[in-house]
Amino acid sequence: MNITEFLFNILIFPGFLFLLALALGLDWLDRKLIARFQGRVGPPWYQPWADLLKLFAKEDILPAGTNVVFTSLLPLLSFASVMTALFYIPIAFRRVPSFQGDFIVIMFLLSVPSLLYFLAGWATKGVYSIIGGNRSLLQYFSYEVLFLLAISGTIITSNSWSIEGIRQAQFEQGAFILPQIFGFLLALSGLIGKLKRGPLDIPKANSEVIAGPLTEFSGKKLALWILTNELQTVAGLSLLIYCYFGNLWQMNKLSGFLIFSVLLVLMQCLLSAISAMYARLRIDQLIRLNWYLLIPLSLLHNLYLIIK
Amino acid sequence: MKKILNHLRTFIYLLPNITSVFFSKAETIKYPQEPSNYSSGFRGSVRINQQNCVGCNACVRDCPVSALQLIKVSKESFSLIHQQDLCTYCGQCQLSCKFNAIYLDNTYNQPSADRKNFRVVLLKKGKL
Amino acid sequence: MSRMVIPIGPQHPLLKEPLSFLLTLEGETVMDSSMRLGYVHRGIEKLAEQRTYVQNVVLTERICGICSHIHTTTYCQAVESLLGLEVPQRGLYIRTLMCELERIHSHLLWMGVLAKNIGLDTIFMYTWRDREIILNVMEEISGGRVSHAVNTIGGVRNDLTKDQMNMLKESLALLRKRVEELLRSIEKERSFKIRTQKVGYLSLDDIKRYCVVGPVARASGMDIDLRRDAPYAVYDQLDFEVPLMFEGDVWARSKIRVLEAVQSIHICEQIINAIPQGPVSVKAPRRVPAGEVVSRSEAPRGEVVYYVRSDGSQNPMRLKVRTPTLTNLVTLPKQLKGLQMADVSVVIAGADLCIACGDR
Repeated sequence: MNITEFLFNILIFPGFLFLLALALGLDWLDRKLIARFQGRVGPPWYQPWADLLKLFAKEDILPAGTNVVFTSLLPLLSFASVMTALFYIPIAFRRVPSFQGDFIVIMFLLSVPSLLYFLAGWATKGVYSIIGGNRSLLQYFSYEVLFLLAISGTIITSNSWSIEGIRQAQFEQGAFILPQIFGFLLALSGLIGKLKRGPLDIPKANSEVIAGPLTEFSGKKLALWILTNELQTVAGLSLLIYCYFGNLWQMNKLSGFLIFSVLLVLMQCLLSAISAMYARLRIDQLIRLNWYLLIPLSLLHNLYLIIK
Repeated sequence: MKKILNHLRTFIYLLPNITSVFFSKAETIKYPQEPSNYSSGFRGSVRINQQNCVGCNACVRDCPVSALQLIKVSKESFSLIHQQDLCTYCGQCQLSCKFNAIYLDNTYNQPSADRKNFRVVLLKKGKL
Repeated sequence: MSRMVIPIGPQHPLLKEPLSFLLTLEGETVMDSSMRLGYVHRGIEKLAEQRTYVQNVVLTERICGICSHIHTTTYCQAVESLLGLEVPQRGLYIRTLMCELERIHSHLLWMGVLAKNIGLDTIFMYTWRDREIILNVMEEISGGRVSHAVNTIGGVRNDLTKDQMNMLKESLALLRKRVEELLRSIEKERSFKIRTQKVGYLSLDDIKRYCVVGPVARASGMDIDLRRDAPYAVYDQLDFEVPLMFEGDVWARSKIRVLEAVQSIHICEQIINAIPQGPVSVKAPRRVPAGEVVSRSEAPRGEVVYYVRSDGSQNPMRLKVRTPTLTNLVTLPKQLKGLQMADVSVVIAGADLCIACGDR
């Protein structure tokens, strides 16, 4: 591999620019869909790009007494961890180095931003930030568990700890979506909690804690946080697609990319419809729902898969 | 069975609503930009019928914000000045006028950056 | 667990008008709250003493943006009864029509604000879309979307034309469908109920103790409505029900407001059918005889009381306004105590505060 091809791979095609376009495109789709569900027109396609550019151009203000290095590191670290996770997830038809246990690595890298999000609330010292940070930690402890438990149903069935292994198992046994539809739905609700989307946008509930941990952030740092969240959406959705629809396409083919994109768009539609349909839950209601209903359900589901 | 279905429906109650709205036309109007059309009763700007006005001061007296000003030299020569920046376009002057002279119509003029432009001489009669 | 004091307001996304709360939190639970008012005090009562009765019609309209018509109605009623004026029936009918349209508009607006505060933006967009129908009708009739300037001492300014009546009929038919759909939504939609039920409970005793008025009182089972109990304008000739609920929580308040909107549509339809021909206003003299009068009316948020005292000159000697917001506001510290932080926005929205009314 020569140096130009290397740079092209890192920066443009499967790398930064492509992922950025994918993330912002999904963001636009989300906004547009919610707008249409509510009877509005919705933004033009370049709106997320314009928002991001505007934020990068804005002055960066932090409250007095905040540790500047620490608060600058938080969004950078979370962005970096999501990007690293995305390099292990085979977006579209790109082959990635796959090894036993890369699933765990991805799950870890995807949960790092949630922890840093909580730290961001404490680092900026605003009252709303602290409340939002506490809430995000509570949500982290409940929804991270649910997501992992629900998605591990596919690991149990395929008997493999790597994304590629789960995918290969589906070529033999058929897509997991039909036999494991409950697991899929539970994993989706876990993903909503993980991405802090409506109806589980409790840590950043606008009418309660303004913007949660991100209240005091502005400019480039806020832009990075927003970008992180959008990339997390891409990562989470493609993980779900790989784990549940893995056998629908061959690697390294244009048709594969098309099928992948269609699935991605459909999943985003589902997420948008869910966030348009429900009111935001309260944090105690969320935890009760999660620990009393959803996590026992996913445990039962896994038990059933093991016995089978 | 029907009861169970109804109960299940409460979990996705808004789904039919959002789908029907999704496939119908957006309610947003005047986007990105369209000229406004005002209703017939819209109170846009204060006008005057030159012939009817007798300078009786009724509108000036009843104006709640003192936006009208009458400069009267004699019975024949007077001038009525309208201060647009003070005016709330409530239409009280039209109601107070006994001679159908002052009225509000639905034309609308754009705001200006200069305060002087808000001072409109509605009427000038005789020698001042 | 350490306590934390967090400010809500004067500028906060959940408040649409400036009002300030200081909440003492323990974790997520509100232990104590204090309230500060007066950010939009404009001295309207004092200002009214320096203006003539005619000028005050416009001034009282500026007390509130959402219920502007009910304020002028109450004021005009007070001055008319001091003058001993008999307002023509058609004028009273138009006045009542505007009152009811305004009630629908106010309740829909409120519903949107509540839905927005609990994160159900879809309902927010839908109710505000429906509210636009009412605003268009009101603009067509009066010429203003917010400050309608319909009332004057001795009647109303605008007459209803045939075209306007037809437009009103069509709009009301559309609106009836939309409001009934909204009613079904708030009865059935699960997440809405989860967030609003058993939040901000006020018992009937609390209602009596704090003299709460309007839909908040009716949601706790207090059967008061001035339109029925002390009819003004033409309410005695109209047939309507006063909805009543006993749950006393925010959900009951929201349902009662939508039920009232349905009743208001019913009233408006009756008015269109029953409106008599004739003049809409009579001429009022400028000087008002000495005396004092109390005028009451049922605003969308509850009972509005105007006290006018005249000394025989062109200006009122004293104009006192009591708005429903101020009476409902005092229950907030009681409702907020012991709540979750997330429910604060629900409770504050549920009281339907109109700070501009309350501060005057």
